[in-house]
Amino acid sequence: MSLAPYLATRPWLRNLLKPVASWYANAASYRQLGLHYDDLISEENEDVQRALKRLTPKESYDRVFRLRRATQLSLQQKILPREAWTKPQDDVAYVSQLLAAVEAEAKEREDLDTIVPLKAH
Amino acid sequence: MISRPTVARGCKLALRAQSLAQATQRRSVASIGTPGSFEATEIAGLKVASKDAGGPTTRLAIVAKAGTRYQPLPGLTVGLEGFAFKNTQKRSALRIVRESELLGAQLSARHTREALVIQADFLRSDLPYFLELLAEVSSQTKYLTYEFHEQVEKVLHLKQARISSLDLALDSVHSVAFHTGLGEPLFPPSTTPLGPYLNEHTVADFAETVFNKSNIALVADGASQANLNKWTDTFFKSVPASSSSKLQLNTAASKYFGGEQRTARPGSSAYAIAFPGASLGDNKPEVSVLAALLGGETNIKWSTGFTLLSKAASNSFGVQAYAHNHAYSDAGLLTIAISGPASGVKTTAEEAVKALKAVAEGSASKEDLTKAIAKAKFDLLSASETTGTGIVATGAQLIRGGAPLDVAAAVKNLESVSADKLKAAAKTLLEGKASVAAVGDLHVLPYAEDLGLKV
Repeated sequence: MSLAPYLATRPWLRNLLKPVASWYANAASYRQLGLHYDDLISEENEDVQRALKRLTPKESYDRVFRLRRATQLSLQQKILPREAWTKPQDDVAYVSQLLAAVEAEAKEREDLDTIVPLKAH
Repeated sequence: MISRPTVARGCKLALRAQSLAQATQRRSVASIGTPGSFEATEIAGLKVASKDAGGPTTRLAIVAKAGTRYQPLPGLTVGLEGFAFKNTQKRSALRIVRESELLGAQLSARHTREALVIQADFLRSDLPYFLELLAEVSSQTKYLTYEFHEQVEKVLHLKQARISSLDLALDSVHSVAFHTGLGEPLFPPSTTPLGPYLNEHTVADFAETVFNKSNIALVADGASQANLNKWTDTFFKSVPASSSSKLQLNTAASKYFGGEQRTARPGSSAYAIAFPGASLGDNKPEVSVLAALLGGETNIKWSTGFTLLSKAASNSFGVQAYAHNHAYSDAGLLTIAISGPASGVKTTAEEAVKALKAVAEGSASKEDLTKAIAKAKFDLLSASETTGTGIVATGAQLIRGGAPLDVAAAVKNLESVSADKLKAAAKTLLEGKASVAAVGDLHVLPYAEDLGLKV
């Protein structure tokens, strides 16, 4: 269940809620650790593993760097200096779109596996 | 007075006579076209060849001028073949496979040195579905990065592992005979550095170069002309008329060089001897007859057969030898390929050259010549009748701008070969430069000069 498609079709409502969403994203404080939202997706899942394999080498390297830096910060009970926080424009959905494609594939396979052919004759 | 049963019987007889007459008429109409020949037409700017024997199944193929000789960078033909029937803009690879399974069809992609063939074999009534599919595969495939890494590249490595000594020997002999173009290996061995050339972007560029109406031909075996006209027009609209890609096909004309190449390799050995042969357009029936006379593969069980190569190989256990005329659009290569344990390959190669020299001296008996002509005729007719070969050869002819092979005329040509012609042909071959490739145990395999060949 997601409200996103509902909001996307109603610009006035979207504009109204945007500041709240931005405030929430900052308050969630992953940006203070230099993470992107997509770094938080749980990895223990076949679909996510497959999506992660499809990242470009550069994306994959940066992701591991962010995760290791965040772990270290968390261990030291620190946050990054303000200028190193993740900027909202950098916080892009780099895994989600791949994950959506992988899930669509799996769903299609499931659908085709349970297909019931109807004979026309 | 005439009784009623007599009248009825008379009517019946008259009707039967009429229907018989119609049947004979129909039969004579059907036999006007040459049996087994494709007829070429053009539908909406696309070259189409079709024949229809009225059978329940259809074989439909896109034959593209994209074989290994035309690839601008190594490995692109193989990459493009690997991307056949993968995700397109309209549907996924999985859906393509499952839908074809539901329709009971077979999809395949393969390549020769000159052509890339994307083929579908299916039930006659499904023609529109598969025409749409082939149009979609050729013009709307996505060439995704992850598909390349997860599927195409992996299959490529598996196929590379399956290259045999014989494949390698045939590739080597082509390479010394033609250097570039036709000399490119049919399948790049695992030692070829493909890294800088083969990736999803270059394959996509190559696809753009290849899949346009001037560069492909549609070959249909078992589809009615009317249906083909109607649906090709509808579905092949999306295929562009000409290419705007930055990659250009390598269309340099072939030139014969000749020479020798030796490659060490563990496992079984292979030896290939080649001479300039007959191209697709050449009218050289004696080369086909010579290939049939050298032969190698016996058609009859429990016998070595009459062919010279099978006799040459009969004393060496586990050795196979066969001769074949590889006909390309602008060149031909008559090859003798021998494979098996090294020592046997050596003796067979010596015997084979001796046999060829004997033919050049006119030792082939009249009976053997008759048998060889009969075999060459059978090979030609059966190849044009059965699947595969006929479709590929026809497509290859069309994309280079020629007409499909006229089977009846070709058979007549074969019949005209005389003993003198055959002798002269063998003599010319031995006088010219040969191409020789040895793969395997080089300690045993002989040099071309030891066999008495000029390289």
